Order: sequence, then structure tokens, then C-alpha cells
Amino acid sequence: MFASLIHPRVLTALALLVAGAGLSITAWQGPESAMLVPRIVLTIWCVMALAILVGELIRQAPRQPKASPRGARSPLPLLMAAVLVAAVATASLGFLIPALPLVALTLWLFRIRRPLPLVLGTIVIGGGLWFLFHHVLMIRLPALLTSGLV
Amino acid sequence: MDVILAAVGDAFTWQALLAIVIGTWAGIIIGGLPGLGSVVGLTIFLPFTFGMDVITSMALLIGVYCGSVYGGSITAILINTPGTPQSAATTFDGYPMTQQGRVDEALGWATFASFFGGVLSCVLLIFCAPQLAKFAVNFGSIEVFALVCLAMLCIVGISRGSLLKGLVCGMMGFFFSTVGSDPITGADRFTFGTYALSSGLDLIPVVVGAFALSEVFVRFSARNEEATIIPEARLRFPGLSEIGRRLIELVRGSFIGSFVGALPGTGAAAAAFISYAAAQKLSPRRANLGKGEPDGIIASESSNNAVTGSAFIPTLALGIPGDVVTAMMMGAMVIHGITPGVRLMADQAQTVYALFVVLIIVNVAMLILSKPSIGLFRYLFKLPLGFVMGGIVMFSFIGAVSVRGNPLDLVVAALTGILAYVLRRGGYPLAPLVIGMVLGPALESSLRRGLLISRGDFLSFFTHSGIATTLFVLIGLFLVWTVAAGILDWRAKIAARRQPAESAARSATTPEGGP
Repeated sequence: MFASLIHPRVLTALALLVAGAGLSITAWQGPESAMLVPRIVLTIWCVMALAILVGELIRQAPRQPKASPRGARSPLPLLMAAVLVAAVATASLGFLIPALPLVALTLWLFRIRRPLPLVLGTIVIGGGLWFLFHHVLMIRLPALLTSGLV
Repeated sequence: MDVILAAVGDAFTWQALLAIVIGTWAGIIIGGLPGLGSVVGLTIFLPFTFGMDVITSMALLIGVYCGSVYGGSITAILINTPGTPQSAATTFDGYPMTQQGRVDEALGWATFASFFGGVLSCVLLIFCAPQLAKFAVNFGSIEVFALVCLAMLCIVGISRGSLLKGLVCGMMGFFFSTVGSDPITGADRFTFGTYALSSGLDLIPVVVGAFALSEVFVRFSARNEEATIIPEARLRFPGLSEIGRRLIELVRGSFIGSFVGALPGTGAAAAAFISYAAAQKLSPRRANLGKGEPDGIIASESSNNAVTGSAFIPTLALGIPGDVVTAMMMGAMVIHGITPGVRLMADQAQTVYALFVVLIIVNVAMLILSKPSIGLFRYLFKLPLGFVMGGIVMFSFIGAVSVRGNPLDLVVAALTGILAYVLRRGGYPLAPLVIGMVLGPALESSLRRGLLISRGDFLSFFTHSGIATTLFVLIGLFLVWTVAAGILDWRAKIAARRQPAESAARSATTPEGGP
């Protein structure tokens, strides 16, 4: 039973149920008129999530996920964290500064590892697109300086 | 007749034709880049129009608009990442066709259906604009509520095999659309004291996260496998016999798009989902939908491009812009001295007819320019996977933040990307999340307004008007049909399971060499 509880599918269903229940509490505490539709939506969400959770639990014991070769951990969480950190940092550092390391890391993780293509790719994809949109096409992206230069 | 001929003359100047070619081509490319859509395209090109005459400037903007709606389908088919939310429904069958090695066929159908839908809606616009505008006025809150409920039911169709998961994702998308200020009372909902959340969650960051960023994560986790290789983009237009076989689907999708586009506040994404839902019930090949069936692409692409023409009906005839894109177009018209509204056809008939002609030329230009545009994407996707993925991440970031300039939209896109990856791994379909988010605001505002009109009596919705009653009856039929089809499928599966067991038992009891 405990082994099946820590399976990713069960955990996903459980997380959905907990999130839906938490949001439902907020919805039921809010003003009745404004929260009418969210209450209905979140109730359906919770009922469905509960049904999915029960369904996942009564399935046959799931197999263990495949171990990655050589026991190595996938660097996917690193990419996800980098995307999230860059997104959060944009509000305070502007668009360009977080975008450059994010693009460099993405290229590196996707095996563009020779220095010249890595640097050129980062400059063209990260800096070039930023310059094109921000300075040439005048689509204003978040900036570090109030003048909007960077 | 003289007015129409003069309008044709206005539309066929070299300046207008050049503007159409540049606008349409740029629109296709912009639409094809994840995150960048019609709004960004129009924002880029609007300042260039200030020095142009009315028809040339509108030709440029209409080209960008129509081109971007079509362009979104290219990446939806090639890499399962719709360039624009309008093309989200194209992924349902477009990407499976790519996985089956039928990318040329999928792109051919998407292109032809877009052209067909666009031209048919232009013809409707020319002949039926006043009648459609009058009919659209009959759609009050309750009728719109019934129509959107009908469209919501397509969640059931696209969640085959995982209905509960589809429904939970649909509710999640619907919930996302309720974040921010309440449209009726103005009260903050689920903002948790964050001022930036008061303006709500925008659709584009959610679509960018759900499709583009999650696709980067999926391709990263499977980067050693052959499936991550992006197939070469090729285009093969369907033959006449193939078009003849699917003519009804083309016409149905175009009519649905034309009609939905004429209703203010709906838009091309909603039209595509409504059309797909109709195809799920009416297409003779509906059993294959979702598994790589051209009818799915036709339903989505013919309807979303039909909206580009009919969206001008409320804008021009009533002065009511249906969505952000038509509001921007209306702004451009006002800048150039066209005042949309009920007097427009009487006061500036020649200009209006010239716009209709421009719309038709834009659709023809789209058909011609599709080949070189897809050729460009072919070269882009030939680059090493790292550069393509780096580009998608960068375009996703630019697209997410450029619509409102709110850095919080980037965080929303990143979080949605991570959530979408987890959901995809768990077998949850993502399309219902987008459907919930697209249709949620219209469903909520029409329900709340309807309840105010009927003084809280929900049952009176069913008898409010002939249109409302008809739509609710259709919803009932849809539900009965779905339940009945589900039961029949289940019985067929049970029978199929029993048959081999019975034959195995029979062969075990039959002596060797016996009859």
C-alpha cells in the first residue's frame, strides 16, 4: 500500500486533490457572488481528483520507474529550475540578464558544448532576439534600467 | 456595382498588394513562432501604417492577422507546439499525423482548410454581413452561455480513455480564468494579496507554458530517443478527389467559424474547439479523430481562419470589437478615418468593400506564401536540436511577457510549463486545460449576467428563447449520444475480450484432428 502511494501517478492525483481542496477553502471563504463559479469549478475539480486518486490506488501495484543508465540523475529539474529562476529574476534584473544564462544552459544541456557554437548561439538567440524585439521592433520587454536600454 | 468595381480598383494597387505580401508572410512566420501571435504581430506592424493610406495600411494589418492565425498551425503540426492559442485544437490530429510520417499531408490540409475557411467567410461577409449582424444581436447572455456549454462538451470528446483526467484539467483551466478581478463585482479572487494577480492570468503565458515549455522539457527528457527528431517540413496539397470527400467537413468548419466569429467576445480559439466538437459528433470518420485524422485539422483550421473574416461583422457593422485583435484593428481604422458602426456601410461603402476584397486577396496570398514559409521552418528545424529548443525557450519568454508587459506572466508561463510536464507524464491531456481557460471567461460572465437577468432563476434559462432552448436540446442530445456511445463501446470491448477466451476454451475441448 505504502509503495503504491509514492508512485508518481498517485502523487500527482494526490497533489491535485490537495491543491483543489486548498483553493476550495479560499473560495468558500470569499464573497458569495464573486465566488459562485469558482466554487462550482473547484468542487468538480476535487470530486474528479478524488475519483482519479481512488482509481490510481486500486490499480494493480505499479512497476518501479526505470532506473536511468549508470544510475545518473536526469538534469531535467536543473532545466526546470533555471527556467523558473530566470522568469522570477526578470522582474528585478530585466529581460536580457536572466535570458543569457538560461539560453546558454539550455544549449549546454541539449549538448551544444563546443565553446564557439555555445557562445555564438547564446549571443544570437539570447542577445540577438532581445535586441530585435526590444530595440528594433520596439516591443518593450522588462528592463533593468529605467531608460529601457538594458 | 460601380462601388464594388471601384473597391476592387482600390484593393489592386501595387502598394496594397505589396503590403498584403509583406503582412501575410510576416504574419505566417510570427504566428509559427511559439508565443508570438496576432497581437504581437499587429503591435509590431501598427506603427508602420501611420504614413500609409487607408487601404494599404489595412491590407498590411489584415495580412498579419490572417497569416498569424494560419502560421500557428505549422508548429502545432511539426512539434506539437501551437504558435498561437487559435491552433491548439490543430495539435489533436496534426501532431499524430506527423508522428505517423504524414507531415506533408497534415500541413497540406491545414493550409487548404485555412484558405477555404478564410475565403468562405469573406464571401459570407460580403453577402450576409447585415443579416448575420442582426442574428448575432439575438445572442444575449443566456444564448451565449448555452453555446459555450456546448463547446465545453468537446472536453469529453478529446479526453477519450481518460475522461476524469480531461475533466480535472478542464476545471483547472477554468479555474485559471477566474483568477483576478471578478468581471461583475470587481472583487479580487485568488490573488492572495498580490497586486500583479489582480489583472488575472493571460491566456498566452498559459498556452506557452502548457505547450511550448513543456514540449522542451519532454524533448529534453527523451533527448536520446529517435522520437525527438523533428521531421522535415514538407507540404502536399490535397487532390480534388480528397477535397471532394471532405467537402462537408470544410464547409461545416467554415460556417461554424463564420458564425462564432460574428459573436462578440468569442474568438478564433473558441471557434476551433466548437468546430472540433461538432466534428467529433458529425464526421463520418469521427472514430479516428485524435489519432491523426485530417478531419480534425480541417475542423480546427477552417473554423479559426473563418473567424478572421466574420470577426469584422460586429466590428464594422456594430462598432463592437469581438476580441483584442479586432479591437486593435478597429483602433487602426479610427486612426485612418474609418469610424466603424451602423452608418459605416452607408457612409463609406467603397472602403468597406475594398476591405472585403483585401481579405480575399490575403487568403489567396496565404495559400501561395505557405510553401516558402514552410520552407523557412524546414531550414530552422534542420538546426541542431539545442538551437531549436533554445530558440523556443527564448520565443516563449518574449511571447509570454510582450502581450501585457507584466513580468509575472513569465512566472506563470514557467510554472505552467512545469505543471504541464508533470501532467503529461501522468497521462493527463493538456488540451482541456486550454479549452477551460479559453471558454471559462465567456461561460462565467454569460452565466452571471444571465442569472442577473432571470433574477437568479436558472431553470428559466431553458425557456428563455427559441435559440437558447434549441442549444440546450443539442447539449442534451450530445450528452445522451456520448453516454450511449460509451455504453456501446464498453459492450463491444467486453464482447471482443470474451470472444478469444471462448474460442480458446472451444479449441481446448475439441479433440485434435476433429472438425
